[in-house]
Amino acid sequence: MSNRRDFLKGTLGASSLLAVGGVVPEFLASAARAAEQGEAKKDTVLVVIELTGGNDGLNTVVPYGDDEYAKARPTLAFAKKEVLKLDDYHGLHPRMQQMKQLYDQKKLAVIQGVGYPNPDRSHFESMDIWQLADPKRAGASGWLARSIPGMTIKDAGVPGMYLGDDRLPVAMQGADGGVISLADRASFRLQLTGNAGPRKALIQDLNTGDDAKADLAAFVRKRQLQTYTSLQKIEDALREAGSAPDNGGGEFINGRFVRNNPNDLTTLSGKLGLIGRMIQKNLGTRIYYVQLGGFDTHSGQSADHAKLLGDLSSAVGNFFTALHGEHAERVALMTYSEFGRRVKENGSRGTDHGSGSCMFLAGTQVVGGLVGKHPSMTDLTDGDIKYHTDFRRVYATILDNWLGVDSKGVLGDTFEKLPLIDRKKKAPAGGPGPGGGAGPGGGPPVFVPMPVEKP
Amino acid sequence: MPDAILPSDLGTVDPADAWKPWQPALGAWNRKWAAHLYRRAAFGATPAEIDAALSVGIPKTIDKLLAGELDAGDRLDLLTEAGKFYTDPASLRTWWLYAMLESGHPLREKITLFWHNHFATSYAKVRSTKLMYEQNVLIRTHALSLFPKFLLDMSKDTAMLVWLDSNRNVKGAPNENFAREVMELFSLGVGKYTEKDIQEAARALTGWHHDTEVTKFEFNRDLHDTGEKTIFGKTGKFGGPDVINLCCQQEACPKFIVGKLYSFFVSETAPPKGLLDPLAAQFRKSSYNIASIVKTMLSSRLFFSEHAYRKRVKWPVECALGAVRAAVPDRVPLSDVVEPLAKMGQALFAPPNVKGWRTGTDWLNSATLLARNNFAEKVALGEWNANIVRRNDSFRTFARPIASDEPRVEVGAPAPPDAKHDICTTIYATKPKSVGDVVKRLGELLYGDAIAPAQAKKLETYLLTPGPAPGATPAQPKGGLPGFHPKFDKFDPQPLEKGPKQPPPPKKEPPAKPLDPKDVKLDSNEFKARVREAAHAMMCLPEYQLN
Repeated sequence: MSNRRDFLKGTLGASSLLAVGGVVPEFLASAARAAEQGEAKKDTVLVVIELTGGNDGLNTVVPYGDDEYAKARPTLAFAKKEVLKLDDYHGLHPRMQQMKQLYDQKKLAVIQGVGYPNPDRSHFESMDIWQLADPKRAGASGWLARSIPGMTIKDAGVPGMYLGDDRLPVAMQGADGGVISLADRASFRLQLTGNAGPRKALIQDLNTGDDAKADLAAFVRKRQLQTYTSLQKIEDALREAGSAPDNGGGEFINGRFVRNNPNDLTTLSGKLGLIGRMIQKNLGTRIYYVQLGGFDTHSGQSADHAKLLGDLSSAVGNFFTALHGEHAERVALMTYSEFGRRVKENGSRGTDHGSGSCMFLAGTQVVGGLVGKHPSMTDLTDGDIKYHTDFRRVYATILDNWLGVDSKGVLGDTFEKLPLIDRKKKAPAGGPGPGGGAGPGGGPPVFVPMPVEKP
Repeated sequence: MPDAILPSDLGTVDPADAWKPWQPALGAWNRKWAAHLYRRAAFGATPAEIDAALSVGIPKTIDKLLAGELDAGDRLDLLTEAGKFYTDPASLRTWWLYAMLESGHPLREKITLFWHNHFATSYAKVRSTKLMYEQNVLIRTHALSLFPKFLLDMSKDTAMLVWLDSNRNVKGAPNENFAREVMELFSLGVGKYTEKDIQEAARALTGWHHDTEVTKFEFNRDLHDTGEKTIFGKTGKFGGPDVINLCCQQEACPKFIVGKLYSFFVSETAPPKGLLDPLAAQFRKSSYNIASIVKTMLSSRLFFSEHAYRKRVKWPVECALGAVRAAVPDRVPLSDVVEPLAKMGQALFAPPNVKGWRTGTDWLNSATLLARNNFAEKVALGEWNANIVRRNDSFRTFARPIASDEPRVEVGAPAPPDAKHDICTTIYATKPKSVGDVVKRLGELLYGDAIAPAQAKKLETYLLTPGPAPGATPAQPKGGLPGFHPKFDKFDPQPLEKGPKQPPPPKKEPPAKPLDPKDVKLDSNEFKARVREAAHAMMCLPEYQLN
């Protein structure tokens, strides 16, 4: 007779036992939780933030130490005293305080001069290139989708999840059955038309059987119950968003009064908050994908861009602050945009489509710091900076070193990897430890109210 | 002399015995085994097909499966002609699903599906429904014939040439893509060749191209490397056809193909060493006759044994079409099946990569299993035709995630579906006299087998228990999930670090009690609604997911 822990882990399985929490005596349910916590290391998670519209890399990671920068941008350039200095040449946009804190904690890699040969300046084309990971735009499945078949998924979770109400991003397309979209709630809900409650109970009741045998039927039963656990975890994570205290504030947008709610799921911060909760519930999803739109700043860039980067920075900062101990260690967050913008500002206090830009990679296991040189401000092609790091090198590094997926199989070629990930890295002292009590830099978490984009 | 039952340890079975045709004892050839045969060799059986199979016996049933209906040839001509007009991926998929159900030759369609996965080619790269259609037609032509000719024609198939970059394979700069896959995935299996074999085979295949209009195979003599190559230790001025022949002559080839067919038709549990040897030998001796090896497998003692029974996870296509065939009385709109299939992880004409779909238990994750459950509801409740707007499924925006916890407007029995899509029509065809009869019939139709007594009891209790009256508050699920609470705004959020939540105390409501069987009218709409719901629940169990 095996011991109770083995029974819980090996036969019915901890998460399936939790799935029927309502009918399982509490002592069994808590024993199951304990067994689940004793499981080996959880899978790593990648969160991707797409900055839609072409983020102005030069006003994100500002080369304030270069006179050419100020010359090219008479109205848009930031002065030395404005930027959040990374060193005596680079500074972050003034609104990126929280990401600066991550940088200071060595949890943020700033990858400079990322691009691809013969840059395309069409939003659509360039976004496709980044998402297909193919400058030739051959094929129709995205790079994240292609990584899913080779990925291990513990706990039978959904491999990939897109949070948003747009169509599935190209990067996630082509992984049939491997990606869900959480805007389309019906796609991840058990349909029970009519007599719902009793029928759900019946399904769970019927899905019990002689699970002592480790046969195929027992496996399927366990998966079935795990599926309901996953559904429940998502429901719970969503409900916690809905129950967060409303700060009571609001603003008029397009003549309508819109409540400001930090957990509103139309905002980046709300989406990242939901992702954080799902990660902490061990949902088993390995890739989360979200978008932040509005970066196509052809005119009046200053205010819009500041708001966007402020949103990004506080959302990312709050996301990592809320992740506790072991969960923080298994999460990496990447940002990218389809292109950067022209070095010279245009006549409308904005910038036009350019090429080459920067990417961010954040996480406790990320090797923080500047990666690669800032591209030259004088050696330009068609008025754009020149990239020196192929974006697929970043992808390859994340695939091989973080997700544990063979990058050659996904990218169709071998790319030299970058020193971005250190799986043995310990969280530096003074940073937020387990429990997440201390905010970045040891101070209280910075709360930045999230304006709502649009109802 | 009827056969004894094979020992439970497959390792102790003499392989020659295992593959002998099964001689069932009197009564042993029953609905369970007929349904098993039809699930494997076809896409499930209608009750009439089972009756026919039982009356003519196993050999005739298998012969009929291998030959198809008498008019299958005519139907094939029509289907093939019609297929040319389905020029977008969704309708091409519908066309093939139609062929699976209506061609009069389901085994041919089944094995075409097998080969589609074997020679996995995807529209995602080929980007032409015409080429995908042509490949599908080619696969169907060869699906039950001789493997070497099949492999040769597949290597010249336009979609395949596009898929594996054949036009980039030129003299002086060989591209090994096709040469590698033809060995690793199409004929020999990983490790049955050297890297040198691949390089040399790639040279032999240089100039093996499609034309510039991408319509057909074209041998480009100028770009072909005419030099000597050494493949598998043999040297010669080899070309493309030689590569195919050399691969087929390898000892690994019949073993590899037979092994894949075994896991598709017989069992996904790895066979003990030696079990497949007689089949590999037969395959080789018969010039790689696919139909004959399939016949041996399907007729065998092993096939009709617990070593094969429910030893596979249904492919999504099998899962979707099985219930439709067995339980829905009339044709369903197959375009309704296309999207659920993708959600279950099997968009036809779009396998994830050249290795094909990850089958077996890899079919099942939370997303795909949920898609199976939700498709099962569609079948059970007869909710066909994508235009039907579900009453309780009003548009939910992303900003209102809690909407699913709000009390549902509609809680009573939904209106019965159209009789031609109503599984109750099939269930009641045998004129059940009692609740027990109904449950038995459900087992026959959905599982092809008797339901385990404990489960049958639970199903009977469910059928006898009245559902909530329309307009009433929804009852708390008896086995409710932790945290389920209809009033989200009164929900007390707990800090995350405390782990999963405990259920709030359930609302006190008198639980509905099962009625006395004699107070239940089997023909009432309310009872039939519960029958459909029970069918949904049954299709969410391993008995249905396994094949």
